[in-house]
This record gives sequence, structure tokens and C-alpha cells, in this order.
Amino acid sequence: MTFFAFFGAVELGLVYGLMTMGVFITFRVLNFPDLTVDGSLPLGAAVASVCVAGGMNPFFALIFATLAGFLAGTITGFLTTKLRILHLLASILTMTALYSVNIRVMGGRPNISLLGKRTVFDPVFSLGLPNYLAYNLVFLAFVAAIVAILAWLVKTEYGQSLLATGDNPRMITAMGVNTHFTIITGVGISNALVALSGGLVAQYQGTADVSMGVGTIVAGLASIVVGETLFGTRRVTGAIIAAVLGSVVYRLAIALALGLKFKRFSFTASDLNLITALLVVIALTVPLLKSRLKKRKKGAPFGKKPC
Amino acid sequence: MLRIENLSKRFGKNTASEVLAIDGLSLRVSPGEFACVIGSNGAGKSTLLACVSGATRPDEGKIVLEGEDITRQPENKRAGKIGRVFQDPLSGTCASMTIEENMALANRRGKPRTLRMGITKKEREKFREALSELNLGLENRLRDPVGLLSGGQRQSLSLIMATLVRPTLLLLDEHTAALDPKTANLVMNLTAEVVEKEKLTTVMITHNMRLALLHGTRLLMMHRGQILLDFDELSKSKLTLQDLLEKFDVALPENNTAGVLSDRMLLG
Ligand SMILES: Nc1ncnc2c1ncn2[C@@H]1O[C@H](COP(=O)(O)OP(=O)(O)OP(=O)(O)O)[C@@H](O)[C@H]1O
Ligand SMILES: [Mg+2]
Repeated sequence: MTFFAFFGAVELGLVYGLMTMGVFITFRVLNFPDLTVDGSLPLGAAVASVCVAGGMNPFFALIFATLAGFLAGTITGFLTTKLRILHLLASILTMTALYSVNIRVMGGRPNISLLGKRTVFDPVFSLGLPNYLAYNLVFLAFVAAIVAILAWLVKTEYGQSLLATGDNPRMITAMGVNTHFTIITGVGISNALVALSGGLVAQYQGTADVSMGVGTIVAGLASIVVGETLFGTRRVTGAIIAAVLGSVVYRLAIALALGLKFKRFSFTASDLNLITALLVVIALTVPLLKSRLKKRKKGAPFGKKPC
Repeated sequence: MLRIENLSKRFGKNTASEVLAIDGLSLRVSPGEFACVIGSNGAGKSTLLACVSGATRPDEGKIVLEGEDITRQPENKRAGKIGRVFQDPLSGTCASMTIEENMALANRRGKPRTLRMGITKKEREKFREALSELNLGLENRLRDPVGLLSGGQRQSLSLIMATLVRPTLLLLDEHTAALDPKTANLVMNLTAEVVEKEKLTTVMITHNMRLALLHGTRLLMMHRGQILLDFDELSKSKLTLQDLLEKFDVALPENNTAGVLSDRMLLG
């Protein structure tokens, strides 16, 4: 792998690490397989792009993207709690609806270019840093900020009730928590992070595209299982950090795979989905093999609920 | 205190498997009373508690707790007044969360969840103290995930958690049934101790007649969604196991005792 390919992969790992943290909240904390993310990632990209293209400060644009993602998540939460639609189906419905919404947001077009517009990277570029450092610095700052916020949030009364909702809804209801509220807001927060990730990706790549969300959930899950396998811990905050690291490793693995050459055969970008699926399968089997080889260690990693 | 009027609950309405789980049941429980409920399988005991806790909506009737009509109140809204321990030791706690986190959740029963810290230092002291009374050594394991505890430990913890915020009403649904006899005894004694000390108004379901005679200040027997027999403290104290079996026989002439009362109920 070249020097630039390496940094490029780390960049992607970090920016999609924000998305991975969002997926972690639904998939691992709330036990909620949420496909909304395939629609909320391009939603964030679309909203941020339209705002930036309209001359808005690129940081404010990200705030609007985040809010839009939150809203999308609450819709899925609403469908599944108040209207009692199966969570998976509810999220597919929102995702499907978002496809139309995203095109509307971009003024009827399937993509928007941000060429020549201001982005969140400008202040760092003006320091004279080389590209590969500037991008990583900005993404790292966002990741650090979100990790800090989540680490605080899960320790609050609300955050604890969120964790309990995913673990044992019957118990937390008996403790006076409205699980509809925690699910709706939890899925909202998750998609807010995914949309933030999408908004940043758009500014990074200089374009928002309605189809850029395809495979978001699979990439998120792959990152989570890779993170758990390599860096799994029992504590929530540790697990969140592991998810981000997993995202970086995942992107590095893909870059590595794309660079492989076996005589005349090499992988192409369109093989990504196959590689990802294989990666998830491997990551999911490693713990199984481990546990067969030796007895289970004390305390399962976070999200793999012991009984 | 607790007033139940003409309560009815039907499952599977308009289907072949329709059952009348609660059939026009009325009941008053006074403050400080510790009522044991016995009855055969399917008598409607769990359904009765589910209606009171809000887990199930009754079809008809009224439930009034401390003068407030809670019949249609959502389950989480009435949780502030009602402490519960479930039959399944896994149901009452969050396995992936630590002992202190579980207790902190319980310590906020009925209170709004804010963005303040989920556990405070002061609380930890309170939790340690409450746990040390269990004599299970849990006071030194506050940061262990509850999933590591045994069923008996989890059930004892659930009981402590249910009473951390004083409940107006404590509901216990066969909370010792899933435990081995020795542990069940331990948890039952703890229950009696806590209820007595805190003078908690309690409704406890049990399959064990011996326990029902031993504990509590009132004994109710349910059958087919109704309360068949009701003994107050005085008449209960004079009651023997043999009396109870005979009384049940008389009340239900169409059944012989063996058919209605399982062996589990006698020996438990
Ligand atoms: N969710 C439900 N759906 C359909 N029928 C139900 C449901 N819950 C209870 N029932 C039926 O209602 C009746 C009363 O059940 P309930 O669980 O209250 O009995 P119980 O007295 O607690 O019995 P046990 O001693 O076995 O716990 C039974 O006939 C049962 O099959
Ligand atoms: Mg029952």
C-alpha cells in the first residue's frame, strides 16, 4: 500500500467512524437493526451540500445535516413504537422514502457538486498543512468530539435508560421509563451521527450523490464487528472507541485488498461488497472459534448480552 | 389503598381460544397489608398483577391506588408507585449493566430521566449499605455486570431494587419459583424481613401453600379469575395446611383436591 493510499484509508475510516458510532447506538445499544442509515447518510450529504452551495458556513451546514438525520431517525422510531411496524421494516420504509426526499432536497437532481465552495477543511488548509494531514486532523477532531459527547451521554440518567431499553425493556418500563421515548430519540441520535458523517463525506469528496448511501449499514456492521473482534471491551465507551477503530481497520483492509495482485487477477472497487461480506463473516466467526478453543473469558464484550 | 372493582380481562377475544382470565373480580388491600395469593395454574393470578402494574389493560372494571384511578394509566407512569419483582430472575435486571447501574436505574423509579449523571457518589454509599444487608458480598462488587450473578443473587438484588424507592404497593409474582429450595428460602426470608421492616403494602403470588401460611397478613385463593377464599390475619393464623385443603375442597365440590392443587403447590 502506498503512503497516500494508507492515509486515504484512515481518512475514510475516521469520517465513516462517525457513521459507525451511529450504527453502534441502534445495533448494539438499542438492539435495533436500523436500515434508515442507508438513507440518512445521503440525506446528511444532501442537506450539507445544499446549505454550503447556498453560501452557508460549512460548519452550520453540518448542524442542519445532523438535525435532518435526527428527524429521519425519529420517524423510524415513531413507525416502530407508535404504529407498531416491525423495526427492520420501519427502517426500510424510511430509507425508501428518504431516496425521494434526498432528490427533493437537492432540487430535483440526483447529485450536487461542491467544487470551489467553502468547506470545513479550509481553516486547516490555511494553516499550510498538506492535504492528507488536514483531512485527518479535521476528521479526528470530529471523532474525538463525538466520542466525548457519547461517553458523557451514556453516563447520564437518560443515557443509562437508553442502555437499559436495549438490554431489558420490561425492566426499564417497570422503573418508570417510557421506552417509546428512548427508542425514538435513540434512533434519532444514531441517524444524526450518520447524517453528520454524510455531510462531512460530501464536503470531503466535493459532491453529494443520492446513491452514496448504498451499503452504509453493511459497512457500519462490518466496522463494528471488526472493532469488537480486535479491540472489544465490556464498557460502553470502550466499545464505542473500538467501533471507530474497527472502521479504520475496515477501510485499511479494503485498501489493502484493492491493492492485491495475483498474477493477472486483482480486485476492483465493484468487488467491495463481496469483500465486506467476507470480512463480516470472518469477523463473526473468529469469536466463535476462540470460544471453542478456550473457555469464555469473564464477562462478555458489550452488546453480546450474557444471560 | 388498593381498590379493585369488578375487574374483567379476556384474552383472545372472539377466537376459539378465548379465555376469561379475570372474571368480575373485586378486592381491597389496606395499607400495610401483606396479602399472599394462591391458586391453581391459569387461575388468573399473574393477569391480576399485570392489570395492577399496567402491563395488561383490563376490559372492564376499575383499579384505584391511593385514591387515584390508574386503570388506564400507562405502565411506566404508575411505576413510581409500584415496585415489582418478576418470576424470572433475568427479567428484573439488566445483565449487561453493572450492579450499581441497575440500582441507580431503580433509584430513579418514577422520576424523569434528565441529563444529570446516572449515578452519584452519595448513591453508591446508599447502594453499598443496602447490599451489605443481603450478606451476599455484593457490596464489594458494585461494578460487576449483573449478568455474572447467580439467579438467587439477581433475585435478591431485584427485591432490593424494588424497594430502593419506597413503593406504595409491592407486587411479587412467584419471585422465588425459579430458584432452588435453599435459595428460594433465603429470598423469601429477605422478602418477609423487608416487607415487615418497611411496612410495605404487598401482594405476593406463590404456588407454595406452606409459604402462604407462613408469611403475610392475609391469604387469598383464586380460581378461574375470581377470589374464592379470603382469610384475614386472625383466621389465617389458625389455619393449617390440612384446613386449607379441606376448605378448598368444600368451595369447589366439583373437583377433588388432587385435581386442582398440584403437588408443586403443596410441597413447593
Ligand atoms: N397473553 C395472554 N394471551 C392469551 N391468554 C393468556 C395470556 N396471559 C394469560 N392467559 C390465559 O389467562 C389465564 C390466566 O393466566 P394467568 O397467567 O393469569 O394464570 P396464573 O394464575 O398466573 O397461572 P400460573 O400459576 O400458571 O402462573 C390462563 O388461562 C392463560 O392461559
Ligand atoms: Mg402466573
